[in-house]
Amino acid sequence: MNTGSQMPISDTDVHAYVDGQLAPGRVVRLEASLATDPGLAARISEMRAQNATLRDALDAVLSEPIPEELLAAATAPDTRASLSRRWLAPLFAVAASLVVGVGLGWFGRDALIERTGTPTTFARQAAFAHALYAADVNRPVEIWANEEKRLVTWLTKRLGFGVHAPDLNGLGYALVGGRLVAGNEKPTALFMYENADKERLSLQVRRQAPGTGETAFRYAAENGVGVFYWIDDACGYAISGNVDRAQLLKIAHVVYGQLAAAEASAPK
Amino acid sequence: MPQLPATDAPALPHPDLVAAIPRLRRYARVLTGDAARADDLVQDTLARAWEKRRLWQTGSDLRAWLFTIMHNVHINQLALARRDAANVSLDADPGNPSWQLPVRANQLDRVELLEVVQQIGRLPPDQREVLLLAAVEELRYEEIASILSIPMGTVMSRLSRARDKLRRLIDEPASTLRVVK
Repeated sequence: MNTGSQMPISDTDVHAYVDGQLAPGRVVRLEASLATDPGLAARISEMRAQNATLRDALDAVLSEPIPEELLAAATAPDTRASLSRRWLAPLFAVAASLVVGVGLGWFGRDALIERTGTPTTFARQAAFAHALYAADVNRPVEIWANEEKRLVTWLTKRLGFGVHAPDLNGLGYALVGGRLVAGNEKPTALFMYENADKERLSLQVRRQAPGTGETAFRYAAENGVGVFYWIDDACGYAISGNVDRAQLLKIAHVVYGQLAAAEASAPK
Repeated sequence: MPQLPATDAPALPHPDLVAAIPRLRRYARVLTGDAARADDLVQDTLARAWEKRRLWQTGSDLRAWLFTIMHNVHINQLALARRDAANVSLDADPGNPSWQLPVRANQLDRVELLEVVQQIGRLPPDQREVLLLAAVEELRYEEIASILSIPMGTVMSRLSRARDKLRRLIDEPASTLRVVK
């Protein structure tokens, strides 16, 4: 690689030249060597081609739309807090209109309980979240089912334990997607399903507070929203929908069976 | 996570932060080899940047600082994942990612690009990082040394080894990853 001038071209200079960070004085010297050293010229052209190929192969990521979570994460946390406070009022308005729409008595009482600060039971929260999000035609979920893997990874991370969406296709319900829902203390994961008649079900999962070791299926129904819920292995599950008790119980059994099977096969 | 009081902590420049996201995603994808895990890594990096905002010197290169944070977050997550390997059931082993990096569909030489992407995944992680930061992110060698907390000499030797190895991987005859159109 020696051109016959004072010093040989170092390996570092060659890399720096290819990466466009060689000092101008050295560029002159290196380019002078290129004319007389075909081996060096070939090596440099190969390295440049490799750089170009790498960029070409990876540039596609740059033009992908940025997910909302990442845009949110770029916003200052204190701004985020005030934003959510600002959004709370309209959200309550939406909730209030749903209360009227869905059918009064129970939801009205629940809203009253919430205002006075009593923690709401899991079943009530589940029914409330289902009524709120299942009624939203265009945006019932935060991440759609076509990105199920991302949804599951995200919910698992936010909940702090592994969750997955049971497959209810056998019952005619396809996964719509999922979202995170605020709970009394810990966040709750919500998976939404829909059948051919556009009827929706939601499965909600959350970590239970210690000392709530019930395992039996319980049923609660208020004004058309039925909820089957149970607690298993420190996690609470609630399946809610505007279907009758027998149908909901059948669905709950399928969900329970799949979760149990997944748990049995998961490495501990 | 405790938040720093908003009053005396400087705010990070929001437009610059948003502008950095595509490049963070690209780098994260090469680190993790998985689109979903990469975005989680970017999210964690941004969260960490807000926590550590006092450490960012106004006017200094925000992108290099974010890459530094991402490198550290990634290293920590790998260490945790290795320690809890038995409890990680939802994803593939993070130390051995399945590569799902996208390649533009309309590329004439798509096959070649796809193969290059696959081969990047076969580079040792420390070489892969240096090569990507130099060749794709076009960062200066001094910045790379600072991001990875390694001496300049190590940057250069890893870069040299990465380039040689990638060339050999791609030139390998009868590559197992050769794709037929």
